[in-house]
Amino acid sequence: MPDYKAEVRKFIADRFLFGDDKKLGDNNSLLESGIVDSTGILEVVAHLEERFGVKIDNDEMIPENLDTIASIEAFLKRKIF
Amino acid sequence: MLIHHFLERSAGSYPDSIAVVHEKNRMSYAVINRTANQVAHALIGYGVKPGDRVVLVCENSVAYIIGYYGILKSGAISVSLNPEMKPTGIEELLNELEPKALIVSSKYASAIETIDLDRLGVRLLVITRPTAAGPAALHSMASPDDLLPSQSGHDPDLPIDPHTCAMIVYTSGSVGKPKGVMLTHANVVANTHSIVAYLELTSQDIQMVVLPFFYVMGKSLLNTHMAVGGRVVINSQFAYTASVLKQMADEQVTGFSGVPSTYAQLLFKSPLAQYRNRLPALRYCSQAGGHMPKHIKLELLKILPVHTSLVVMYGATEASARLTYVPPGMLRAKIDSIGIPISGVRMSVLTVDGSVQGQGEIGELVAQGDNIMTGYFRDGDSTRKALDANGYHTGDLGYRDEDGFFYVTGRKDNQLKVGGHRINPQEIEDVIIESGQAIECVIFGIPDPLLGHRLEGLVIPARQAADVVTDILKYCSRRLPKHKVPESLMLIDVIPKNSSGKIDRTESVRLFNSLRKD
Repeated sequence: MPDYKAEVRKFIADRFLFGDDKKLGDNNSLLESGIVDSTGILEVVAHLEERFGVKIDNDEMIPENLDTIASIEAFLKRKIF
Repeated sequence: MLIHHFLERSAGSYPDSIAVVHEKNRMSYAVINRTANQVAHALIGYGVKPGDRVVLVCENSVAYIIGYYGILKSGAISVSLNPEMKPTGIEELLNELEPKALIVSSKYASAIETIDLDRLGVRLLVITRPTAAGPAALHSMASPDDLLPSQSGHDPDLPIDPHTCAMIVYTSGSVGKPKGVMLTHANVVANTHSIVAYLELTSQDIQMVVLPFFYVMGKSLLNTHMAVGGRVVINSQFAYTASVLKQMADEQVTGFSGVPSTYAQLLFKSPLAQYRNRLPALRYCSQAGGHMPKHIKLELLKILPVHTSLVVMYGATEASARLTYVPPGMLRAKIDSIGIPISGVRMSVLTVDGSVQGQGEIGELVAQGDNIMTGYFRDGDSTRKALDANGYHTGDLGYRDEDGFFYVTGRKDNQLKVGGHRINPQEIEDVIIESGQAIECVIFGIPDPLLGHRLEGLVIPARQAADVVTDILKYCSRRLPKHKVPESLMLIDVIPKNSSGKIDRTESVRLFNSLRKD
């Protein structure tokens, strides 16, 4: 099983923080902390779909699924298994 | 009449009505107005005088609204800056503004503290989100003690000339330094009255606000709803479209406003269709902030609840927000139009030498009215270019049809020459969206030794498939003359936007060039 958390963290750090993941806690809100903006969330979604082969439905566009690294990991696990 | 009188009058007429909803907070008119008064008295106590600039760096929140009206009530000129700007960018604007004070929300306080404000002689105050003690607290950097409880909650009621500057709003300009648009109380009051009239807003109206208040469109949503005693529901997490729609249903909002990218996202990445029967209160959706492709408008008309009208509008920061709108009943007949002037606005189509163009003839759109700015802050050259005896030169090219409806055909400074043909990228972008294969796209010219420019573009595909680009280009060839068909298109997840959500063409070209090198 891939390490979803590590992979998502690396993508977000590389794409939005110039590779620096020191400020990126598992439970930090991506939008609130300003790490990712509104269109950035769409990039995260596109990346998750491409990398993990999942289809993220329109009604799954909620912070409970996508707003922290921990929630993304839990969401992916629910989608994949 | 002054801008903050809207809030004060509604606080008199509807003291207990909920004016603002943000997350778990619901604040009444009486509480918002009283706290804004306390902010004003605190600023006056610090020596803020009419005409001084006071800067607000704050995300959309209850604190923003209290800070904004508090500054206006103190007689100062309110300047809201984009809080996501880098401290160096903010410092540059502070050098130009020479403000007396800066109010920052706690979220951005540590970033602002890196600026040497003492050198600039700016007093720094921190405004906090609602606590158990009150809807906001204000404290200095030296002490966490709340300055507000000791201040009077009465309207300061300063005599202020309505024709003096009330606010400076920085444009999002993608090229060069942002320009500070100076708007008077009279400008904003006139525009607010016109918008209230054509949207038929009443105290029953509830607006979902996903656009930032620091730009003029967000401000007009706030001012118009405070003017009628309505309500604003703030949601700053538009990326989570399913949550936004759920809140719209729960709060029974009557109005939603967005820019073209907001609606592209609602159509393609939100459960809007499933909400068709769950938004019984939604009277209208309004759109401004640039051209929205016809295909998107028609799709929205299909997917929005039957009782929800789509109001297409056109404006500029320099016009306090709004210049024209399309009466919803005329939208299908005039689908590509920006509509008719709102009350108090006169629009004309002028040639370069200032003579009036006839029906159907293309020229620059020029506007006159009580809502037009007095000029750009400390930038006489730009002011002279934009304002003259004929009015405000929008920089947009367009024409008027036989029924008096106006159309924008492109930007004066955005015309491309391809092999001797003059090309407006908007026309090609519309065809690409119409193909149904793209969510958003941007077309630009890349310098070419033979053609002058060749057309290239970035596209967010509507589906993941190998042949999307070929399909789109085939569709373009069927719909457009050969010289308007792009040479190639690059697929991408996100198109660069500036903070107001408009496509950033300069950045798009840069991205295109850097991706092509890889």
